[in-house]
Amino acid sequence: MRVLGWVDERLGVASMARKGLRKVFPDHWSFLLGEVALFCFVILVATGTFLTLFYRPDSVPVIYEGPYAPLRGQEVSAAYESVMRISFEVRSGLVMRQVHHWAALVFIAAIVVHAMRIFFTGAFRKPRELNWMIGVALLLLSLGMGFTGYSLPDDLLSGTGLRIAYSVLISVPLVGPYLAFLAFGGEFPTEGIISRLFVMHVMLLPGLIIALIGAHLAILARQKHAQFPGGRADQRNVVGKPFWPGQVFKSVGLLLITGSVLSFMGGLIQINPVWDYGPFDPTVVSAPAQPDWYIGWLEGALRLFPPLDISIFGILIPSPFIPGVVMPGVAFGLMAVWPFVEARLTGDRDEHHLLNRPRDVPVRTGIGVAAFLFFLILTLAGGNDVMAIMFDVQIEAVTNVLRLAVFLVPALGGLIAHRMAVQLQGTGLGPGPPRTVRLRRNPRGGFDDHP
Amino acid sequence: MRPERVVAVSFALSVLASIGLAVLYAAGGEPQLEGALLGVALGGLGLGVVVWATRLLHEDEVVEERPVLRSDAARDATEETLADEELTRRSLLVRLLVGAGASLAAALAIPALSLGPRPGQSLFRTQWTKGKRLVDVDGNAVTPDMVQAGAVQTVFPEGEVGSADAQTLLLRVDPARLQLPDGREEWAPDGVVGFSKICTHAGCPVGLYRAESHELLCPCHQSTFDVLRGAEPNFGPADRPLPQLPIQIDDEGYLVAGGDFSEPVGPGFWNLEQDEGEDEAS
Amino acid sequence: MRVVVAAVAFLSAFTIPVTAQEPDGRELFLESCASCHGSDGTGTEYGPSLEHAGEAAADFQLRTGRMPLTDPGRQTQRKPAAFDEAEIEALVDHVGELGDGPEIPLVDAETGDLVEGQILFVDNCAACHGATGNGGAAGVGALAPSLYAASDLDIAEAVITGPGEMPVFDFDEHERDSIARYLGYLQTQDAPGGADIGGIGPVPEGFVGWTVGMLSLGLVCYLIGSRVKRTEEAE
Repeated sequence: MRVLGWVDERLGVASMARKGLRKVFPDHWSFLLGEVALFCFVILVATGTFLTLFYRPDSVPVIYEGPYAPLRGQEVSAAYESVMRISFEVRSGLVMRQVHHWAALVFIAAIVVHAMRIFFTGAFRKPRELNWMIGVALLLLSLGMGFTGYSLPDDLLSGTGLRIAYSVLISVPLVGPYLAFLAFGGEFPTEGIISRLFVMHVMLLPGLIIALIGAHLAILARQKHAQFPGGRADQRNVVGKPFWPGQVFKSVGLLLITGSVLSFMGGLIQINPVWDYGPFDPTVVSAPAQPDWYIGWLEGALRLFPPLDISIFGILIPSPFIPGVVMPGVAFGLMAVWPFVEARLTGDRDEHHLLNRPRDVPVRTGIGVAAFLFFLILTLAGGNDVMAIMFDVQIEAVTNVLRLAVFLVPALGGLIAHRMAVQLQGTGLGPGPPRTVRLRRNPRGGFDDHP
Repeated sequence: MRPERVVAVSFALSVLASIGLAVLYAAGGEPQLEGALLGVALGGLGLGVVVWATRLLHEDEVVEERPVLRSDAARDATEETLADEELTRRSLLVRLLVGAGASLAAALAIPALSLGPRPGQSLFRTQWTKGKRLVDVDGNAVTPDMVQAGAVQTVFPEGEVGSADAQTLLLRVDPARLQLPDGREEWAPDGVVGFSKICTHAGCPVGLYRAESHELLCPCHQSTFDVLRGAEPNFGPADRPLPQLPIQIDDEGYLVAGGDFSEPVGPGFWNLEQDEGEDEAS
Repeated sequence: MRVVVAAVAFLSAFTIPVTAQEPDGRELFLESCASCHGSDGTGTEYGPSLEHAGEAAADFQLRTGRMPLTDPGRQTQRKPAAFDEAEIEALVDHVGELGDGPEIPLVDAETGDLVEGQILFVDNCAACHGATGNGGAAGVGALAPSLYAASDLDIAEAVITGPGEMPVFDFDEHERDSIARYLGYLQTQDAPGGADIGGIGPVPEGFVGWTVGMLSLGLVCYLIGSRVKRTEEAE
């Protein structure tokens, strides 16, 4: 403990540390889902740092002379060549690359699951609206991280994705061509785009993400978790176990197990075989052409949207604009301001530290289920060609069915969820106890919660 | 098994896997084994720590008072401090300060325009000009008899092989079945037609050709174009036909372009229909 | 009606008595093919003319079992051949005599160039058959089949005859050899990164990311985290 003494004499941290270690956090298994996302990010930074040391963010053409025979002697970009080198020549490079990619897929999956937990339990309500919005920003930044990272190998598949991003950007009325030219440095394909994506992927976006994660956690520590009702928990207290040692042990264990699962996946399951796709060439395409799963909903929206180039006063609004710009803008905008929308709709402006069960608020639950199903159908639509093969049906039939389903399924699903929530209320079935509130008459004639 | 033993065995496994990892690396490495050993090394450690926490630490539930966030008195005091008389009474200066800051921010943002050129005419034009020969991916000039019925190939303007803008699909169809829009009667000698390979939806190369039904398909979003009707879209999100390249045969019997495409190629943009360069080109 | 015709054609293929003598191509054709393609091979409303099909197309369709048709109205599929080798040879000769179609190509993947094959494959084949040759959807029920079962000769014949919706490709012999060689490489090489989960890109990857990665980590959370204790409240 000499170290602690040394630090304490200089920074005076001992009393703070003592308080911190004894701090009580409410504890529930679903509170760990956000930690999974955090730990995936830690693993992404670690593996990403390794990859950065070998990756070359440059589209200058070079001749591939590595061990992968079908490409030997071909002209490829320096970026693609360096990814091939990481995969086949750098010792343990392939594992690092694959762990990095799997971690990215699971990272965003964990963010989504975590966000759903927050939403359905009402944990975003006052005083936690700010942290909800930071979370939405983190989700957006993570999508940006994913997309820029997916594009860095400069292979045929990711190049096609970049091409679509350019087309969506150029579709914005009045400013689209300028935006696209500023972002890409000219008309697609441009030489500068790889190094720009690299700066975004390894500096700007991770910097922002780290800053926002810091804010997210600081606010969490200040406000503490909301807690499920039951036992001794109520609105004014915090029931849980002290931070040290139990919760620290569990979290460290979860970090290690997250790393373990991702290592197994990175070693045993192949992901993004860029050698199969070949180097990017703007005149060639391979099928099936999909983005990683978290961009699938955008891809699906582009696939489902009807052929509508709208012309208003000679200004063309190309068909990618609505599914590619308007829809995501509205979706994320609504998501970000949801806490305020709900507060206005219900007129409820009180502080809440006790979580809802989904059944407690049927309308919110219905809306959440509908939104989830909307994104799910869009994501499925992003793989309509793969579904056509799997179910041995015509791709056009899949598309047409999904065009209807994208409206019907969320509407029906939302109604059913609402109905189920209403019926489950007060039955005590399912997870969590029935909520009993004991009231006590106070001297002024009103009622207080009786602890 | 007792928890202590589980923890001990897990830690031991982790140590063994870590040693194995080092040995494997020295021996040359193997991706699958590396992943599995790393998984065991991390997983053993993790499992041990978790079992320790859940089985060996007996912590009682603690109830603490939740800290109250709002503090009305402090807020009032802070407001007072912020609204310093010395500052607030000089409202003109405050406004000027805000204005100067905003101007500076705008000025500092301007260099961002260096990121890309102005689009100008580049979206309206490709490298095709009247009389330019069609060449295949190897740069060989194409003659009509090199265009087989039922085949599809990608051609470029001579000297521009690999051009992302000017890439063109060249096909031969039965002239009797070809129904091109009015004014394009001379664009397809002997049923040899050329269409831009860039999808008018999101710009992917329209790489698939269904020879029997004469339909081109874009693998990105499944826009389908009917070659016999001048590449009009008949399925998927694309709303505009693939621009057609007027094709002629020159004196030496090679295929040449009769000019640029019928419309700007690729994905739509807001002023696509207002081709400002019309005069300059004619 | 079409179903009946096809069924008869299919069944008759199996009822031909196996004899030691040379099979007669014309007779076989009349028995098994003429009902759709016409007795002189010029086609009927049920099947196309075979005048320009040539030996290569006949050999491809018969050897890979795509013809005779068993399921009219649907795309032909690879299945065990309905005829034995000698019969196929006789039929192929007969179809070859109907017109001026391509002959059976020579193919020797060994002499092909792997790098050229990769370039040609990505430029011309991957758009429909997928980057790993594992097949893809080409719209309107057309499926570009997986090429993992295709032999070198199958590939060469398909390239020059363009079966079904597939376009024809004007490759010379060496180019065809190269494509066959690259495809052989794809067929035989193990995926360097582990299990290839279908080799069709991000869709299965996303699925595995959720089901293997997220699901197992969610389960871990459930096991190590605490749960609300219902009993306490019951008192």
